[in-house]
Amino acid sequence: MTVADFSSTVDALVAVHRICKAFGDQQVLTDVSFEVASGEVLGLIGPNGAGKTTLLECIAGLLSADTGEVRWRGSLLPPARRREQLFYVPEAIAPYPDQRTAEVLTFFRQAHRQPPSRLEYLVNALGLEPARAKPVAALSKGYRRRFLLALGLLAPRPLLLMDEPFDGFDLRQTREVMNLLREEAADGRTLVLSIHQLGDAQRICDRLVLLSGGIVRGVGTLAQLTAAARLPMCSDLEEVFLALA
Amino acid sequence: MRSREPPASLTPVLRKELRELATGSSLWVLLLLLSPLVGYSFIQAVALYAEASRPALSIPELAQQLSPFDGILVPTLGGFYLAITLLFPFIAIRLIASEKASGGLKLLVQLPYRLTDFVAAKFAAVIAAWLIALIPLISALVCWGLLGGHLDARETATLMFGHLLYALLIGAISFLAATLTEGGATAAILALSVTIGSWVLDFAALDRGGVTNLVAAVSLTSLLKPFEQGLLSIPTVLGMLIATVGFLALAAIWLPPGVLFTRRVKGSALIVMGAAILIAVAGQARTVLDVTPDRRNSFPPADEQLLGQLPERLLVTVRMAPSDPRLTDLDRKVLARLKRAMPRVTVRVAAEGKAGLFGSAGDEDYGQIVLTYHGKSATTRSTGAGEILPILYELAGVGSPAPSPTGRDEPGYPLVADASGAAIWFYGALPLMFVGMWWLASASRRIARRRSR
Repeated sequence: MTVADFSSTVDALVAVHRICKAFGDQQVLTDVSFEVASGEVLGLIGPNGAGKTTLLECIAGLLSADTGEVRWRGSLLPPARRREQLFYVPEAIAPYPDQRTAEVLTFFRQAHRQPPSRLEYLVNALGLEPARAKPVAALSKGYRRRFLLALGLLAPRPLLLMDEPFDGFDLRQTREVMNLLREEAADGRTLVLSIHQLGDAQRICDRLVLLSGGIVRGVGTLAQLTAAARLPMCSDLEEVFLALA
Repeated sequence: MRSREPPASLTPVLRKELRELATGSSLWVLLLLLSPLVGYSFIQAVALYAEASRPALSIPELAQQLSPFDGILVPTLGGFYLAITLLFPFIAIRLIASEKASGGLKLLVQLPYRLTDFVAAKFAAVIAAWLIALIPLISALVCWGLLGGHLDARETATLMFGHLLYALLIGAISFLAATLTEGGATAAILALSVTIGSWVLDFAALDRGGVTNLVAAVSLTSLLKPFEQGLLSIPTVLGMLIATVGFLALAAIWLPPGVLFTRRVKGSALIVMGAAILIAVAGQARTVLDVTPDRRNSFPPADEQLLGQLPERLLVTVRMAPSDPRLTDLDRKVLARLKRAMPRVTVRVAAEGKAGLFGSAGDEDYGQIVLTYHGKSATTRSTGAGEILPILYELAGVGSPAPSPTGRDEPGYPLVADASGAAIWFYGALPLMFVGMWWLASASRRIARRRSR
């Protein structure tokens, strides 16, 4: 099978090199390597069970990889120091369920020493105002997702890793959040998004990492991946993914 | 874009932990159970004290034996001790286990705090919980004061300090249990196996000597004993503090996700070794302060001064079973005092098996206490200091010091009082107050949650 890799064309902010991870006998990630450029929106796409969450947690240093390394601007970034550069927003968690949304948001704002205006901006941009007085456990799936995005965006780190950031959103909400993330990227923030909806990934990502069975099947722009898959240039990401995976 | 954040202030994380404490139910359940438990202990203690005080009102010699510290404070704190042993672990465990279960820990460890900051903030919340749990106890002491009872400030403060150290140790053990296990229930089983295991150890050591006795000496329950006698034992205090810090350090090592197992094990081994060395060093600090107003745990000052000047090792061989009440009496009134007063004392409990009221059948040596000093030995069956000290002085070849007062002459504090009226407070008003506080802290959130469904 062909692995399309155009990483060498990227001026890497962060480089993920040969990460392997197994849980017991089950190999979840095998020699995963790719690079991310500064200000880029990189999509990590693949079906459920492809190893996307495991990979993000290994990169964030929340899960110890069996082998492999992460480099930051060419220098080795050990797991204990990853939080200096990046922040990972997990999927489907409900932190501090008994506390009010506003209280948790304020805690994260204060911990990151961000001005109140930054939180106000994010609350408005993500439409979180109606949820502020509610406990986290009372939030709907969509509001919980927005709440988690706000927690991530409050972290003033150059690289954000987000696991399924559009999960639970309708089309309009997805577009609103995409616009917000695009603005963040335009301000110089680099985003790595794990997305299982290929349509969403195609719309927002500058480049894509195709992951299947814990193996990188291709890295590049849609055009580069389409060419690697020897498909017509009008092919969509779904066709490309099926051809490469 | 800035790539490195400055360390964050501790205040937000501390506020968050206090909110977690208030919104959870474990603190309020503890308070609801603690209130009647402390109240019952107090009311019973006052009733028994009144019974003992009646004859003492007319006989001054009997009155001297009546100490509110032993009669009221220690029994009332017995209920408090029970609740702290059995329920306090749940409060400490929740502060970590709920964060692990909800996924909050994954976010928390990415914030610009050191791991020790998280553990310190959580532990501060545990201390806050203990201070809130003092409300029933303090109200019992206020009731005693309103009834006209007496309490010595130094004794009371020492005992409370001992209970604080005990609660801190329980909290630190619970933290470690929560970091080592996946769920709160498993953590609770682990923590309670340590606390309740201490009771089992104490029970097992009652009738056995040797290793069981040695292990029981470091059980959590035995750590409170000096404080309950009015003694401020510096080695015990240091040992408890070192153990607490050690357990917290271990919790900080096992808390964060993503750390290699081998690295955790190496760090843990270093902490355990460091703590063991420090505890061993602390054990060499022999200072034990008798804070009782009448120095009832100590020999007269003249005797203590003379005993402190005896340079040789004193060997005391006691031929009694460990469960023999005479041994307990001997230990408290003579052996423990000798160990504090003399630089070198070794005690051997030589007898095995059970003892009847008059010793075990067929063992004529049973009950003997053999004192060996400077190559000379003497035997007695008396467990009183008045008989043993002169024998020791004779062996050492020194004269008995001139009799001196044993300390401030305590008049005794007999009090015939009835605290049954306090039942309304402990069984009714106080629990209602806690329910109200619980509602204020968490019910409004539940209403918001229900409305959103």
